[in-house]
Amino acid sequence: MQIQRLTRNALLTGLALIIFSIEAALPALSPVPGIKLGLSNIITVYAMFAIGPRDALAILCARILLSAFVTGNVSALMYSAAGGALCYLIMLLLRRILSSKQVWIASVIGAAFHNLGQILVAVAITRTVGLLAYLPVLLASGMIAGLFTGLCGQMLASRLKGPL
Amino acid sequence: MIRKRLTTRLWILILAAAFIALSAAALALRHAAPQHAVAVVYLDGERLRAIDLSEEAATWQFTVEQDGMTNRIEVRPGGIRIAEANCPDQTCVRQGWLEGGVTPIVCLPHRLVIRPESDTGEAPLDAVAG
Repeated sequence: MQIQRLTRNALLTGLALIIFSIEAALPALSPVPGIKLGLSNIITVYAMFAIGPRDALAILCARILLSAFVTGNVSALMYSAAGGALCYLIMLLLRRILSSKQVWIASVIGAAFHNLGQILVAVAITRTVGLLAYLPVLLASGMIAGLFTGLCGQMLASRLKGPL
Repeated sequence: MIRKRLTTRLWILILAAAFIALSAAALALRHAAPQHAVAVVYLDGERLRAIDLSEEAATWQFTVEQDGMTNRIEVRPGGIRIAEANCPDQTCVRQGWLEGGVTPIVCLPHRLVIRPESDTGEAPLDAVAG
């Protein structure tokens, strides 16, 4: 059982990392820093709702750490860690009150919190409160991205019902 | 079943309302009137220099460097931008010209910020926030 679980989590981490790398290789959607689709969130959403919070946390942490090495952008690590942590915590809360058909809602709110975490770190690092001017556009774009990745994750969870 | 559908509708309503409000705020900030247009360059949260864009007559450049991290900043009448940087993501270069408004140019890997401020030294966003 333990090996099966390890293998599954490793597989999902690998998937998330591949998705992340491909997305990182594509040109940025917008000149505003922080606006992106965040496609690897599909895996986080799937793991959170189809497997469980503990495995989701393991997969998320491994993906965030490894993605910093893949892109070579270690300074981005703090941003994705803070964003990932906030996103994870809010999805953990929402998980209790949402049904399996409402998974996308958790993803929409989670993505907004991800961007909130990133901008708070940016404010702390640059010590410039003025960066909060980016907050509305980052939250709104996060909601769109979260809707997309959430729907993907929800579909994945409903179609992969068997033991993975 | 019906109850569940209702709550989904309620969620959609809440999220849609939040999204519309955020989009409106984002648009308002983006189109905030370019006022005074003094651009202040911050590195590590420290104020490096302030440039009154309305008083610039020619295009000129300067470079901010720290620990091998460089940003070449270009100033023209009424505008300022990061023309070149050796940061990994190049987001700061793509942000283009800053000509007032509220949103700053940021180079997160280099902790460099160029933000518009009014000539009283008060940032427009602080004024908005009260």
